[in-house]
Amino acid sequence: MSRAVFGCLVVMALVLALAFRLIGADLRPVHHDEANQAVRFGILLETGEYRYDRNDHHGPTLYYLTLPFAWVRGQMTLASLDERTIRAVPAIFGAGLILLFPLLAGGFGRAAVAASAFLAALSPALTYYSRFYIQETLFVFFALTFLIALGRYALHPRSVWAVCAGVVAGLAYATKETSLIVLLTSAVAAALARVWTAAPGASGGEASPVSSGTRARHMMAGLAAALLVSLAFYSSFFTNPWGFVESIRAYGVYVERGVGSGPHAQPWDYYLRLLAFSASGGLVWTEGLVLMLALVGMIAAARRPSTGFWPRYIGLYAVMTCVAFSSVRYKTPWNLLPFYVGFVLMAGYGSAALIDGARSHVLRVLAVVVLVLASGQLGMQNWRANFRYPADPRNPYVYAQTSPDFLRLVQRVTDVSALHPDRAGMLVKVIAGTYEQWPLPWYLRHMTRVGYWNRAAEASPSDGAPVIVASRENTSALDAALGDRYVSEFYGLRPDVILTVYIERALWERFLASRQPQPKF
Amino acid sequence: MRLHVNKNLVVCSLLVAVMLAPVVARQAAEKEELKLQLPKPMFIGTPTNIKSPNLEVITGKPRGPFMVPAGTKLLSLKRPVKSSDMQPVIGEVEMVTDGEKEGGDGYFIELGPGKQWVQIDLGATRALHAILAWHYHSQARVYRDVIVQVSDDKDFLKGVQTVFNNDHDNTSGLGLGKDKEYIEVAEGHLFDPKGVKGRYVRLYSNGNTTNDLNHYVEVEVYGTPLT
Repeated sequence: MSRAVFGCLVVMALVLALAFRLIGADLRPVHHDEANQAVRFGILLETGEYRYDRNDHHGPTLYYLTLPFAWVRGQMTLASLDERTIRAVPAIFGAGLILLFPLLAGGFGRAAVAASAFLAALSPALTYYSRFYIQETLFVFFALTFLIALGRYALHPRSVWAVCAGVVAGLAYATKETSLIVLLTSAVAAALARVWTAAPGASGGEASPVSSGTRARHMMAGLAAALLVSLAFYSSFFTNPWGFVESIRAYGVYVERGVGSGPHAQPWDYYLRLLAFSASGGLVWTEGLVLMLALVGMIAAARRPSTGFWPRYIGLYAVMTCVAFSSVRYKTPWNLLPFYVGFVLMAGYGSAALIDGARSHVLRVLAVVVLVLASGQLGMQNWRANFRYPADPRNPYVYAQTSPDFLRLVQRVTDVSALHPDRAGMLVKVIAGTYEQWPLPWYLRHMTRVGYWNRAAEASPSDGAPVIVASRENTSALDAALGDRYVSEFYGLRPDVILTVYIERALWERFLASRQPQPKF
Repeated sequence: MRLHVNKNLVVCSLLVAVMLAPVVARQAAEKEELKLQLPKPMFIGTPTNIKSPNLEVITGKPRGPFMVPAGTKLLSLKRPVKSSDMQPVIGEVEMVTDGEKEGGDGYFIELGPGKQWVQIDLGATRALHAILAWHYHSQARVYRDVIVQVSDDKDFLKGVQTVFNNDHDNTSGLGLGKDKEYIEVAEGHLFDPKGVKGRYVRLYSNGNTTNDLNHYVEVEVYGTPLT
């Protein structure tokens, strides 16, 4: 494959990836985790202040890297932000993975990298979480950059690659504290792949010889770079040095969460099952194509004597990271991305191996046609996952997702506030457990008087708030306290989680009057 | 305290009662219980324990007998169906009247997001006595803005009679509804058309508490020929 054709294919894959990730960014209601992140970012945007919280939210790169996106769109307050701005950040980093792939062209071959780029662009899982305002795609971007920089260093031990690896390791750590898992598996994979490809008969690239002293100096430079970058972010750019210490203390929280039996505990094969096959409510999903091609790629990387360092390195990384993440009990579906990107790369390598392995030109063309058609099936699933069923519980990538019905609640509060004398200053009381309060702070960000309580008794519900939003466990107390002075409606927040909205009867009557058809004259 | 009773009034009342008794008895005799074949429940209990003045009370018990005029028959089986979304992603519109009411995969159609309708052509104007609808009964959910209308006009532009409307805020623009919302269960929801006459039956919905899509497992329309 010529350099020009390769370049064109990668650009086409990038455009496709951007289209799938950016178009209709506001189609899916904001998930409570996204809302939480967005409100945290809003504080940074409005005040310029950030303080790391080791109990939740992960590292701060997401917030700092969202700033330019908000500035470009002229949004300077939380209230002025919208879904397109915040979700553009993970979308750009998610599509940006494809720009990293050509760095592997030397080791993988151009055809393999081009195939990987298209598989990444079309993958429903990679796309779905690239439209999600959480840290994951930024983390995967930095993790893959680290993987490549470390691989370069393993083959060509120069200080530039050591520092480069250190910088992106620092960024990965400043994105998610738990990045150490990925950084360690990358290092082990690099060491194993070096040994494997240095074995007699293997044709791995020869590492440039350097003394152990030079290697130690490189390592120190890399560690210093990683430390400096992560310290800068966690300390809010050296204004809160304690933040970095807190990020280390966060491991206590994550270890407890990782081995505990909370609501996110899943069996070891959760990620692989999710990717391989799921069927629910008449919908069937599978990224089995990627998994099968990745398996072909790994077998080819292991068996071909001509295989170099890179396919074995990436293959080992993908398998080891998959095992590491699968062995942790705490699982959320977006945590599959760090190893799945490795599988996607190996699937590209497997595709190229299949095409190369065809014995005649006709078979080779046939293999290309079959792979293109099979990729089309990925594209169809991508459309379904992100545009038709982005919030539907039958979609396997959907996880504790805010129901579209919740948007009716937001619309109702907005509509009645427009009829209230205080408009956006209308008092709204939200009485619900912390978990049920989100994503209301995001959706009611334009309202200036919204209060949050956990229990009805704490919220003085009888003091005349025009609108009260309550979770199920608070409705009995509110029904008793409010009598018939309020009208109530219910809305789905998440599957099997219902919120009740109480609207002052007079305000409700005004609202209903506004909904009556106007007489025609 | 003594109660003054007009003897003539008592005698007249008794006479009227005696005269009307056979009529009432005949009418009662002409009614019969609507016999329904119900699918197996897909879930037990009501996981979403919702209480709202705008929601039908959840009893957890089977619906009581529903009386209809003698001779009432299922009119909708295999009758043609039209829909606002004629190319559903899941299922075919014919499934609405195919007699299959199971709640599992392969038994329902899925119409697009927002306000959608299905319409059944009964072939001729009939007196309607019961309409039974199953949207989706493998999960406890509430379909929004359910409106059931009957008309002799296939376009529903004239002579439209509304049998049921729980669009309490007029989201659908078909008028404020006073009926209550309800949770989908295996026994379906029974709408009482009270004998209204019409050839076409149209059912609207506008998403549900789980997603913004619209589903139909089956719709059954029961009635009698016009006399």
